[in-house]
Amino acid sequence: MIALEHVTKLYGSVIGVNDVTVDLADGAHGLLGPNGAGKTTFLGLVTGQLRPTLGSVRVFGEPAFGNPRVLRRIGYCPAADLLDRTTTPFEWVRYLVRLAGFAAPEAGRRAERALEQVGLTAAARRPVTTLSKGMRQRAKLAGAIAHDPDLLVLDEPFNGLDPVARHDLVSLVRGWATSRSLIVASHLLHEVESLEASLAVILGGRLVASGDAVEIRRLVDTLPGEVRVRCAEPRRFAELALRIEGVVGVRHEGDMVAVATRRPVAFVEEAVARAFDERLGVREVAAADRSLEGIFGQLVRLHRGGMP
Amino acid sequence: MTGMSGISGAWPVAMFQLRRLCTWPRLAMAAVGAAFPAAVMLAVGRASRGALPSDVAVALLYALVPEAVCMLGLLVTMCPAVADELERGTWAHVATRPNGRRALLLGTWLAAVIWTGLVALAALALALPWARVDEPGRVAAVLAGLVVLSCAGRAALFALPAVVMPKRALVASVAVALVVEYLAGTIPAVVNQATVSLRLRSLLVAGMGWKRKLPTEMQLFIDPQPPFVHVVAVAILVVVFLTIAIAILDRRQFPPGDEL
Repeated sequence: MIALEHVTKLYGSVIGVNDVTVDLADGAHGLLGPNGAGKTTFLGLVTGQLRPTLGSVRVFGEPAFGNPRVLRRIGYCPAADLLDRTTTPFEWVRYLVRLAGFAAPEAGRRAERALEQVGLTAAARRPVTTLSKGMRQRAKLAGAIAHDPDLLVLDEPFNGLDPVARHDLVSLVRGWATSRSLIVASHLLHEVESLEASLAVILGGRLVASGDAVEIRRLVDTLPGEVRVRCAEPRRFAELALRIEGVVGVRHEGDMVAVATRRPVAFVEEAVARAFDERLGVREVAAADRSLEGIFGQLVRLHRGGMP
Repeated sequence: MTGMSGISGAWPVAMFQLRRLCTWPRLAMAAVGAAFPAAVMLAVGRASRGALPSDVAVALLYALVPEAVCMLGLLVTMCPAVADELERGTWAHVATRPNGRRALLLGTWLAAVIWTGLVALAALALALPWARVDEPGRVAAVLAGLVVLSCAGRAALFALPAVVMPKRALVASVAVALVVEYLAGTIPAVVNQATVSLRLRSLLVAGMGWKRKLPTEMQLFIDPQPPFVHVVAVAILVVVFLTIAIAILDRRQFPPGDEL
C-alpha cells in the first residue's frame, strides 16, 4: 500500500526524515515517536503534500505528491487545530466532500452521515470556534472519512482530548480500521496499541524499529535498562556492578551510580544483596524511566551509538 | 463521484470563500468601499459648485471605481488565498484533496472577482448620481464593463504573489500593483502590453469616444486597437497569470511548522 525507498526530506538544512525505507501493507499502522521526530513529515510525504528530497514515495503503487488518483483514496486528519471562525462542522465537511469530487446533494448526505458517525450531529451547525477541542477533532475526523477513503491518515488525533472523548475516538477509529487501512501518528504508545495496529518507531527522522506491539515491547525489553543506586560507597559499588553479568556500562556522579544492564531485575536482586554483604550503605535503588518517552530516549541514544 | 478537476472544484471553493467573507467586519469594509467613491464625488461636486466637466467626472469615477475600489478589494480578497488557509489550519485538508490546490486558487479567484465586482458595481451605482455626467447610461455601461475586466485581470495578477510568497502576499501585491500596473503600464513600450491598466484605459477612451479629444502626448498611454482586442488581451492575461500561479502552487510545499 505504502512504499518509501531511501526517502530523505530536507527543509533547507533541517532534516525532516532521513533515509527511510519502509513497506506498509494494507491494515492498521501506528507511527510512534516523540514530538519533532518526523512523524508529520512522514505523513506529509504519504499524503502527497511533500515531495521527497531523495528517494521515492509510492502510495497505492503511484507517486504520491499531488497525485489526484492517490489523493482521492486518502482521508487525512492533520494535527493542526481547525480554526476557521466562520464555518460550521457541517459546512466544513460538506466542503471537503465536494472537493473530493462529489456533487452538492451527495456531499450534503455524506457530511451528515460522517458527522453522525463521529457523534457530532447535535453540534453540526454550530460555528467551529464554539466547539470544544474534542468536538473540533471529531469534525476533522468526519472530514477525513466522509468521502469513504481507502486509507485514513490521522496525525496526533488524540491530542488535547479528555479521557472520555479519547476513548470514544479510539473506539471509532478502531471500528473504522476493521475494514480499511489506517495510519495513526502518535506519541502515546497505549493509544496506538489499543488500535491493534502494527507499529513503527520514528526518531530523529529515522525509522528505528517496527513490528507489532508485542515485538516492540520485546525489543524494548532487550534494551539495556538503567538502574540508579545511591549509596555511601559509590566507587566500590561501581566496581561491584561491573562484575555482575549483563552490565554493559556504569556511570558515577557524586553518590549516585547509574548502571546500564540487560538484566535489570536480576541485577537489582544480586547487586543489592552483595552491596548489603559488603556494607556499601545503599540508600536508594531506582529504575530509569520505562515510559514511552524514556524508551524513545534510550532508542535515540542507542541509535547515536551511545550508552542507553 | 465526478472526476473533479481544479476548474469544476472552483465553484464549491468560491461559494465557501464567499460565505467566509460574509462576516460583519467584512461587510462593513465592503460598505465603506462602496460608499467611498460617492463621498468623493459629492465632495468634488460641492467644491466645484456643480461645474465639474462631465469628462473629468468620468475620469474621476474611473480612477475611483475600476482602479481604487477594485484594487483595494482584490488586495483584501485575493492576496490571502494561501496564507489564510495556513493560518486557519485548513491548508493540509485542502492540499490533500484531488486537485484541491487548483480548486483553491481558482475558487478564491472567482470569489474575489464576485465579491469585489459586486462592491465596485455598488460603488458605481452610488457614485454615478453625484457625478452628474452626460450620458449616464453609457458611462455606467462602460465603467461596469471595466469593473469586471479590472477584477478578473487584477485578481489573476495578485494570484502570483499569493502563491509565491503567501506570508508577504499583501506587501508583494502592493509592490506588483505599483510596479507592474502603474509603472510598467504607463511606459509607452512593449512592456505595457502585458498590463491590465493599459487595456482598461484604452477601453475607457474607446468606450467614451474620447480618442479624438485626447492630446497627442496622451495618446501614448493608450493602445488604439479595437475594444474586443483589449477584452481578449485581458482574458489572455487572466489565463496566463492563473496558469503560472497554479503551476507554482502545484509544486509548493509547506513544512508542518508553516501551519499555525
